[in-house]
Amino acid sequence: MRSSKSLFRHMSMRTGSAAATALTALTAFGTGSAAAESVLTMHIEEQTSWVQNFNPFDLAGRRQSTMDFIYEPLVIFNAEDGGKPVFRLATAYTFSKDMKSVTYTLRPDLKWSDGQPLTSADVKYTIDLMLKNAALDTVGVGETVASVETPSATEVKIDLKAVNSDFPETLADLAVVPEHIWKDVSDPVAFKNEKPVGSGPMTELRRFTPQVYEQCRNPNYWDAASLHVDCLRLPQISGNDQMLAILPEGNMDWIGSFIPQIDKTFVALDADHNGYWQPPAETVAFQMNFKSGNDGNLEAYKDLNFRHAFSLAMDRKSMVDIAGFGYPVVNEHATGLPPRFESWRNKQAEGDKDAFMGFDTEKANKILDDAGYKKGADGFRTTPSGKPIAFPIIVPNGWTDWIDAVQIAVEGLRAAGINASVATPEYEQWRKEIIDGSFEVVMNSRADGATPFRGYYQSLSTAYGGRITGAPSRYSNPKLDALFDQYLQATSDEDHKKIFNDIQLLIADDFPVVPVFNGPTWYQFSSKRFTGWVTDKDPVMNPEDHDNNRMRLMHLLRLKPVS
Amino acid sequence: MRISSRRLGVYAVALAFAIVVNFILPRLMPGSPVDAMVAQLGPRATPAAVEAIKARFGAVDQPMLWQFADYLKGLATFDLGVSVKYYPQTVVQVLGRSALWTVFLVTTAIIFSLCVGVVLGAISAWRRGGRFDTIVSPLSVIMISVPPVIVALTTLFVFAVSLRWFPVGYAYDPNLDPAFNFTFAGSVFAHAILPVLTLSPFLIGEFQTTMRSSMISVLGEDYVTMGRAKGLSHLTVMFGYGARNAMLPVLTNLALMLGAVFGGSIVTEIVFNYPGLGLTLYTASIARDYPVIQGQLLLMTLATLGANFLVDMIYGLVDPRLREAA
Repeated sequence: MRSSKSLFRHMSMRTGSAAATALTALTAFGTGSAAAESVLTMHIEEQTSWVQNFNPFDLAGRRQSTMDFIYEPLVIFNAEDGGKPVFRLATAYTFSKDMKSVTYTLRPDLKWSDGQPLTSADVKYTIDLMLKNAALDTVGVGETVASVETPSATEVKIDLKAVNSDFPETLADLAVVPEHIWKDVSDPVAFKNEKPVGSGPMTELRRFTPQVYEQCRNPNYWDAASLHVDCLRLPQISGNDQMLAILPEGNMDWIGSFIPQIDKTFVALDADHNGYWQPPAETVAFQMNFKSGNDGNLEAYKDLNFRHAFSLAMDRKSMVDIAGFGYPVVNEHATGLPPRFESWRNKQAEGDKDAFMGFDTEKANKILDDAGYKKGADGFRTTPSGKPIAFPIIVPNGWTDWIDAVQIAVEGLRAAGINASVATPEYEQWRKEIIDGSFEVVMNSRADGATPFRGYYQSLSTAYGGRITGAPSRYSNPKLDALFDQYLQATSDEDHKKIFNDIQLLIADDFPVVPVFNGPTWYQFSSKRFTGWVTDKDPVMNPEDHDNNRMRLMHLLRLKPVS
Repeated sequence: MRISSRRLGVYAVALAFAIVVNFILPRLMPGSPVDAMVAQLGPRATPAAVEAIKARFGAVDQPMLWQFADYLKGLATFDLGVSVKYYPQTVVQVLGRSALWTVFLVTTAIIFSLCVGVVLGAISAWRRGGRFDTIVSPLSVIMISVPPVIVALTTLFVFAVSLRWFPVGYAYDPNLDPAFNFTFAGSVFAHAILPVLTLSPFLIGEFQTTMRSSMISVLGEDYVTMGRAKGLSHLTVMFGYGARNAMLPVLTNLALMLGAVFGGSIVTEIVFNYPGLGLTLYTASIARDYPVIQGQLLLMTLATLGANFLVDMIYGLVDPRLREAA
């Protein structure tokens, strides 16, 4: 349910009523009866009833413990470690000289959970399946892959349609499925894969009821030596408020939920064991529609002065404190670079370039006055050519914290004489308006990759404009597109860094979107039964257990039961 | 027992009307199931994948008349289609899963409230204007008018969250597997107590009020006076002569109230995370799951119509005055 990945986090905030608290009596687990077995209780997604669906190609219907835990990725990239690869099913990947193909080397002697060998043929089979059937294409291979070859049982050579050094990162979301099972599946889109055969650490479904399911150790897991958890247990939890009622029971180990006043409602319950770390995630920004059908609005959006004034009207601190319960972090960089990518920051792209990132209504008004935006009798400004400016800012119904933030923004804009308002369509409608381009202004985030490149590329390149929810603004700048292309064709880290420095400069100068804050990641844990949790003292990876974070697999492999 | 053809006609019209409204209502909601499906895919859905999904579920974009024909055909064959949210499960599977729990909850609440409400109503009528009556009757009015959501949240907060006397959700302890044994039955019972108590105040109030007024008129009947004159005990006259006959309007009222009970159960199930029809309907509405919404509304309509029909039949049986000379 997640704007980029925030969809999850905001769905989970649908009901702002903390007082309504909750449900879910996980009446005490059989105490001590299973001393020999370590069961980790986790919360990944909110549903009203579990449906047994482990089809990795069914993004909407699959249980969110399908990726990583049942289907292990070839390579994962760790954003908290400069985007460095963590090799899993594959031990290496190399680009050819002309960059037109990439060859993955698999570990020798990999096995599926049913004991059959896992080879390059399975990888080829999976990618071909997605190429043949676009509805299964969860990775986007249809746009990037020309063909797949298998030089040997452990080698997969993927020929690319165009040079793309970011390709391995996109392939991290690939779930390699066993050919010997899937070749007999008549309709892979509707297949529920109730008894999955997989490659990850937790493939065996021991129990599945509408209220709880348990996923246990894969007897043939290649990295069994690193795995100290015997089973994952996932109780059905239908929302945030239910979560609050379940917490006092003290049975949850790994949580990815929005918990208001977390120190009081969660940590205080068991101060010795309960903890959280909610580092800032992707950047949330106001994006204007550069293809708006409204002449007055469009004239304003396209004017850098207007965008600067817009930014100066943003009371970011109130958005964080009042709307976000203090969980997000203010972003005051014109580049909007997320804090998690601090190591990529270009010092040249900040300082005086961030002059328009504070909250200064007076200055906003002055900029607009100087640029010829005259105030009318109603107190609202018109464009320099005399056209009216009026726009709703859309935000999905139910995302209470975002709605509050947009209201704060609207107040600020009105104080600067800009006629803005809030509109709260249903999420489906909101998405539709972004994709068909009928919206005016939206507050939105974007999906970050392991390096900052993907977030910028997929939200500001002409190629992506308007095609995915992360790219509403339809910003199109040939100079920026050229830089993106250079980046995709470069292979060395130095080159990538250099090009990304230029990208930051260009964005800070042209200021296409108005960054406001970085939402938190949602991660809470209890060390009562397991230790090894990632914390702020040991910030080696994104700690979330949600389906958008491939590193959750590595997090699981760190955990050890308390003996 | 025969039922007049005019009554049957009324039922047929009501059913036809329900079927049509049931088709139109979900389609008046903004958004479409395909949009909902695509929205569920989340940000990682590639444009190509979105197109493919749209092509696959394109059937919902057909012209209305076609859709209506399909809908009628489905009704005739008890095929209510496939759920969008729980794809590829069918609507019958989804509803079957939850109907059981709601029927259990609602039936238990009705039986419990009927016992309590009827007795309270009978006593207040017997001593109308007495102290018992002056306390209980206004109390009923209050119980009828308090919205179920308030009752649900209050009971949840007081008895489950603060006092921890009862579980805060689920239909049974998730550690148990459904089985016919005392442990499981006990767990089901424990988890049903709060939801039932939430549904009951409204019902008890309704039953008490109806029972009281109906009993008052019955107590004026000659045969009751006769019973008293015979020197029978108060209890015998009150329940044997009075309450027995005063029950009829209560039954009618019950049939009329079924809709409200379902409404109350929706809120109750959402608050108590109880896996019944209410929770399913709520989720389906959020997800624009037309097939499930339709199937569910139809089920509720049929249940209400069916209950009224049943009451019509029973009425003829239990009320000798209505018995047509055969």
